[in-house]
Formats: sequence, C-alpha cells, structure tokens
Amino acid sequence: MGKKTIVPIGPYHPLLEEPEFFKLYCDGETVVDMEWETGYNHRGIEKICESKTFEQVFFVVERICGICSTSHPFAYANAVESIGGVQIPVRAKLIRSIVGELERIHSHLLWVGLAGHFLGYNTVFMWAWKYREPVLDMFEIITGNRNNYAMFTIGGVRRDIDETKATELLKVLDDVKKKTDLLVGAVMDDPVIHARLKGVGTLTAKDIHDFGAVGPTARASGVDIDVRRDDPYAAYDMVNWKVITTPEGDVFAKAKVRLLEMYESISIIKQCLTLLQKETPGDIKAKVKEIPEGIGIGHAEAPRGEVFHFVKSDGGNSPVRHKIRAPSYNCITTFRRSCIGGTISDAAIATAAVDPCYCCTERMVQVYDYHSGKHMMNAAELIKFSQQKTEELRKKL
Amino acid sequence: MNIEQYIIDIKDKFPDITNVEVINTKRLMVYIPQSLLPKITDYWFNELQYRYVIVTAMDSKDGYELIYHYSDDSSGWIMSLNVLLPHDTPEVESMTSIVYGIEWIEREIMDILGIKFLNHPKPERFLLPESWPEGDYPYRRKIRKEDR
Repeated sequence: MGKKTIVPIGPYHPLLEEPEFFKLYCDGETVVDMEWETGYNHRGIEKICESKTFEQVFFVVERICGICSTSHPFAYANAVESIGGVQIPVRAKLIRSIVGELERIHSHLLWVGLAGHFLGYNTVFMWAWKYREPVLDMFEIITGNRNNYAMFTIGGVRRDIDETKATELLKVLDDVKKKTDLLVGAVMDDPVIHARLKGVGTLTAKDIHDFGAVGPTARASGVDIDVRRDDPYAAYDMVNWKVITTPEGDVFAKAKVRLLEMYESISIIKQCLTLLQKETPGDIKAKVKEIPEGIGIGHAEAPRGEVFHFVKSDGGNSPVRHKIRAPSYNCITTFRRSCIGGTISDAAIATAAVDPCYCCTERMVQVYDYHSGKHMMNAAELIKFSQQKTEELRKKL
Repeated sequence: MNIEQYIIDIKDKFPDITNVEVINTKRLMVYIPQSLLPKITDYWFNELQYRYVIVTAMDSKDGYELIYHYSDDSSGWIMSLNVLLPHDTPEVESMTSIVYGIEWIEREIMDILGIKFLNHPKPERFLLPESWPEGDYPYRRKIRKEDR
C-alpha cells in the first residue's frame, strides 16, 4: 500500500452537535481504514442509576438522549415490569405506543434534515425541520413538553389522553401526513440525491450480523428485524402495521426505510388513537407495590434500532446493576465496512446514514497525515467537501 | 421454538451444562463454565445465527459475572450466557475472533471492571480518559482504602 493520509474528524467543533472522533486512513481519495475514539460524552449513567430508586431511574434514562427520550424509558419499563410481572392497563399500552411512534416520526424527520444538510441540500434541511414542528407540538399537547416527556412510570403512564386531546391530535396528524408526502416526493424523485446516495456506504446482511447492527440500518440491508413485531410490547400487537425492509444496503436504502417508516408510524398512531377513543376512560397505571428480587431484560425499538436494558434487583428499592445498550453502540461499528473503499467525500453521508447518536454511545471525525501526524481536515471541512461534490453533480446533470 | 425445545437443544449439544434458567417470559439464562464459552458462542452466533446484542458485566458476591446476550429474532427470545470469573484472576478469552462487534464492549468492561480479555486485538482505554489512574475500576464494589 502506498502513502496513507489520516483524516481526523472531531472531537469538538461548533458544527458537530455532539463530540465524536473518527480517524479516516486515506490513500489518495479512497478511505482504506477507519478508527474511532470514544468517551468524550461519558456520564456514568449506569452507575448513577444504581443510586436512584426504580421510579427515579425513568428521569435519568430519559436524559441519556434528547431524541430517544421515550425509547430508553420504554425499554427500562419493559425490563422492570418483567421482574415484577406487572400487567399494565390497555389505556397505558396505547398511550405508550402513541408517544413511541411520535418520537420515531420526529427523529426520522430530524435525520432527513441532517442528511440533506450533509449533502448540501439545505432546503431539505429547512423543510424537514419545519415539518417536525407540528410533531413536537403534538408532544406538547400530550405531555406538556416538547422533549423529555416524563410520561412513563412503573405500571403505566403519568398522563392520560382524553377525548378533546385525541380529536386535536388526529387533526394535526393529517397535516403531518400531507407534509410527509411532500418531503418524501422531494427526496425520492431528486436525481442528484439518487446519484449521491445509491451504491454509497453499502452494508451486506453479513456485515449487519457480524456487528449486531439493528434498526433501519439492518432493515435497509434486508435483515428483517423489528422488536415491535418480534417481541411485541405495549400496543404493537393490537394494531396493523408492517416492517419496512429493502435489500440494497446503501445510504439511499436507509433513507427509503426511514421515510416509509414514518407512514407506518402515522398509521399506528391513528389506530391507537381510535382504539383509545373506543376505550372507556379508566386507569392509566397499575398499582405496583414493590419490585421483587430478580433479573429483568427489556428491549424496545427506538428510531435507530433496538434499545436494550438489563436490570438486576435484589428486592430493595433501587437496581443493583443497570446495563444500557443504545442502538448506535452496535451501528457505529459498521462504519468500518461502510466507509472503507469509498471516497472521503462520501464518508460524511455514509457515517450519517446509520443516524449515529453520540449521547447514547458517545464519540468524533478528523483528517491527519499518516506519516507526519499533521492535522488536515475537520468535520466542517469534510461536510463542505461532501457538499461540493453534490454541487458538481448538480451542474453535470 | 418453545422453552422446552430451547433447553433440550442446549443440553443436547453441550451435556456439561446443568444450569439453564428461564428468568422471565422469553428470557433464557444459561450458566456455563469459562471453557465452554468459545464453543457455545460459535454455535449460537454462526450456526443458529442468533443476533449479538451486548455483554453485561457486574461485580457480584461470588465473582465477576459476564452475561453475553444474544437474540433469536425469529421468536423474540433473548438468550444469555452467564460466565462467572473469580475475583482474584478475572481473565477470559476475547470473543472478537467470532463476533466482530463485541470489540467495543470488551474494551469498556476492561475499563470499568478491570477484566482481562485474552487475545483482544486492541486492549486500549475506551470510555475512561488516558489520565484515569491505573488499577482504579469504577464499577468494582470493593470499598477503596481511603474511603474507610
């Protein structure tokens, strides 16, 4: 192999929303190897949870990540409730699913926006984030917050969705669907987006299995997994929906899976709201006296894939051990396969394709000269590079 | 597969295993000696194509417990392998040669509990900063001398 150049990206830069550090080893334009460094965001949440009561842990895990602030409590609730054998009321199940799916829509819209930005399509970025607003408004109607909803508790939820709220939500949902149609059309029909995303950052089903990748990353490579269907929790077995998969494995496939999943989420929320309207108003929380000794393993399908929580209880009022695995932890490692062999300008979008969440996993990307160790490029420049490529493509077409 | 089939399958393939426990609905825990770990990992991951999920490590009374979680997505079962390592020699073979994705979590466990993974390709710091004192493992339960 000839001379290699290291392109470091990260860890702290005003353009990166979170600290992350990747080292891209490049031979000319081609990425030949990749390394990552982590720990810039480590807050010791697993340890903090051991000092909180079972009830308080909800508020801690909610703050692992601002985007997945329902997924972590969801998995944790599944884990703790399985230790105690708690059966939650139907109303609570429906409300949990509604909040979970709303989160998926807003997270996917956020990703579409960011992906657009990385490609130099700032219009897509502006649109996606604008259309995300009504979804956040729906959260505000249900929970009182746009983020960190504090909805979950052991045995159910903390706030009910009454008839007036349900009607209002259904109205907003129709609006969201119209906007989604517009956005999906704009992204799927654009020839430049096709040229930039197709055949880039391809992952095969074997890569997915090797790294244990989950969520849209796995489903875009034809791996048909979804916790909501495979191990149903909350109200997912009470409604009709399908798992979106596509076999290509490139970035375009991942975008397609996410965009089409939004329609499924909208349909799930609609069905849940209709079921909720049919239910007679009643309990939203089962009475739970204590959590007995035992082990609880809970998982939930977050927008990025499976969130996994392991809780061990000794019969006291706080967990003895609480292990948390966010989906990005397994998905980020796939960069090794998706970026290698591609060009540097494609690395930005290939890494962004798994929708890495660094507060969940925590980490960064920079470009160094392999021999002198000199710093060559940072993330902002890398993204600029990617945007230039789109610009050139656009001119050609 | 149902519970009985899972248990029969494991006991049939690995007659040394005696302790198989259903801890909850769709959750199975298999207690194994350290020597069986590579074989059973290979069987689950490569032959049965179970999905690698994560490894939980904890400091318990009798030793360090390593719990390797795998998932059988065709049925939604989460299958866990429980390996107990003695407190005085916490060493175990690294599973990176079988499961690529396991590299990060093994490094994390090295950081937080000081468990040594033999033949790990990159036994370096993962979560803790370089300046963190050598031999100080935050998830160990032992009370530090200066805290007494």
